[in-house]
Amino acid sequence: MLAKRIQPMASQAKRLYVELMFQVMGRALQAVSEVDGEVQKEAQALPEGFLFEMMVMPEGAKLIVEHIGGGRFHYHGDSAPRAVDVSIQFKHLTHAFLVLSFQEKTSIAFAHDRMLVDGDVSYAVRMTRVLNRLESFILPKIIAKRAVKEYPENLHLPEKLISAAQIYLKVATHFIQTARA
Amino acid sequence: MSNSYYEFFCPVKVIAGKAALEHIPYELGGLAAKRPMIVTDKGVRAAGLLDPVIAACEESGLEIVSIYDDVPPDSSTTVVRDIAAIYRKEKCDSIIAIGGGSAIDTGKAVNILVSEGGDDVAKYTGAGVLKRPLKPFLVVPTTAGTGSEVTSIAVITDEKKGVKLPFTSSYLLPNAAVIDPRMTLTLPPHITAATAMDAMTHAVESFTCMAKNPLSDAYAAAAIKKVSHSLLQVMDNPKDSDGRLELAQASTMAGIAFSNSMVGLVHSLGHATGAICHLPHGLCMSLYLPYVLEYNLETIRGPLGELLLYLEGPEIYAATPASRRAEASISALRKLRDALYKRCQLPRTLKETGKVTEEQLDAIAEMALDDGSIMFNPKEVTLKDARAVLQRAWA
Repeated sequence: MLAKRIQPMASQAKRLYVELMFQVMGRALQAVSEVDGEVQKEAQALPEGFLFEMMVMPEGAKLIVEHIGGGRFHYHGDSAPRAVDVSIQFKHLTHAFLVLSFQEKTSIAFAHDRMLVDGDVSYAVRMTRVLNRLESFILPKIIAKRAVKEYPENLHLPEKLISAAQIYLKVATHFIQTARA
Repeated sequence: MSNSYYEFFCPVKVIAGKAALEHIPYELGGLAAKRPMIVTDKGVRAAGLLDPVIAACEESGLEIVSIYDDVPPDSSTTVVRDIAAIYRKEKCDSIIAIGGGSAIDTGKAVNILVSEGGDDVAKYTGAGVLKRPLKPFLVVPTTAGTGSEVTSIAVITDEKKGVKLPFTSSYLLPNAAVIDPRMTLTLPPHITAATAMDAMTHAVESFTCMAKNPLSDAYAAAAIKKVSHSLLQVMDNPKDSDGRLELAQASTMAGIAFSNSMVGLVHSLGHATGAICHLPHGLCMSLYLPYVLEYNLETIRGPLGELLLYLEGPEIYAATPASRRAEASISALRKLRDALYKRCQLPRTLKETGKVTEEQLDAIAEMALDDGSIMFNPKEVTLKDARAVLQRAWA
């Protein structure tokens, strides 16, 4: 009886967590593209106006970012100005939760068929590298190791701390600006 | 509870062995197909490989309504459109693709158009676009390597845009794959070697990459055993039909394995090398396999060590300390490549191909990093890592 009552609450909590994480990640993607040369280099290979989406199937939470040129991303929230170019789609809310709560690495989630790619796979591979780089910056090493296939050896603490601080500051600023608007 | 999870899917009926071709009329009959069209290439026709298929159908009173034998090595949307037009004009009701990867992929793409309608197959590119079963479709492979007869993907070049279009759907899978040793008996030695090493690579990567699972492992291990046991026998005696059948079955089994567990860096590098230097796919697979296994070694030591049993047999496996089995597996593969080089000069290094320059290695590395298969490589690969593997494979 109790389990039956708790289940919808747990599901709602997962939904809220995934929505929140998408909002943080979208803003953080924009932020990391403003502070990290490696990410900018990766993003520069994407066409200008390229729209990337991550979403939960069928009509769940989503994040959309656009490459606005020069290796910079712009976070569009959960609505795209036009059809997206590449979409990484989690098959179920639970799969998104597993990845976004760092219980399952993104690469493992792909290997486990938890999500599928709609669009040019080579761009999806590139965006996955960007996401890995972002996670390596903003997560404590012990958690980042659970999120990415391999924690970058050349990412040392001072660089990580400075970049993470810049990214979190930009994310917070963006949240405040959104709230005010 | 562990986080392990996998999916496995292969609904293709495999018809393999002596007089397998003679089952085609029965299979088509079971699918209510009476007017089949053959899709193939000129090489297959010139080698006389259509004759036993046509004879098998005629003996059962099944008329082959149309034969399209001009599939190019790199098939295009225009070719697909033209074949679909012939299919409709001749009122065909099924397709038999006979050939290697290109003919089979073309057959899959033609089946999309003739089932879904229209002239522009590009409309159906991507994953999961197809929503219903297509027309009856049989595949008769004439090489033993690609495994295309059991994969749910087709790649067709869009000539106008100059890009390769991937089509992915379980509906692309044929109703049956007909594996008959007569179809590979005349394969020249270097193609026999390269395609068999393609199958070997499918199996080894399937067994060692991230999406490995118990079912794909079973197919991969059996495929490796068959290639290890039969390849050199067939190279020495090309008319060995039992050996040919073993290789053909290994190719299909490796195809089933890798289509359910994906492949890794060998394929990423191979796809990039094929695109930039126009080297045959099987050759690239054979060339890169040991270097990539060395790169991945510490992350795949366990499964790679297990493969020694299938590569070298129980005596050598038992005599090799567990801690040395992974290295011994790589040595076995190197030994096999050396034997193939001796028999048909199948290149073992990029330099030996004579078609790659050292200046191209950076471009190959960059392209490989964006290849979809790199996602499933067990070890993360940076540009520097890919470049280092290429340098080792250079000479």
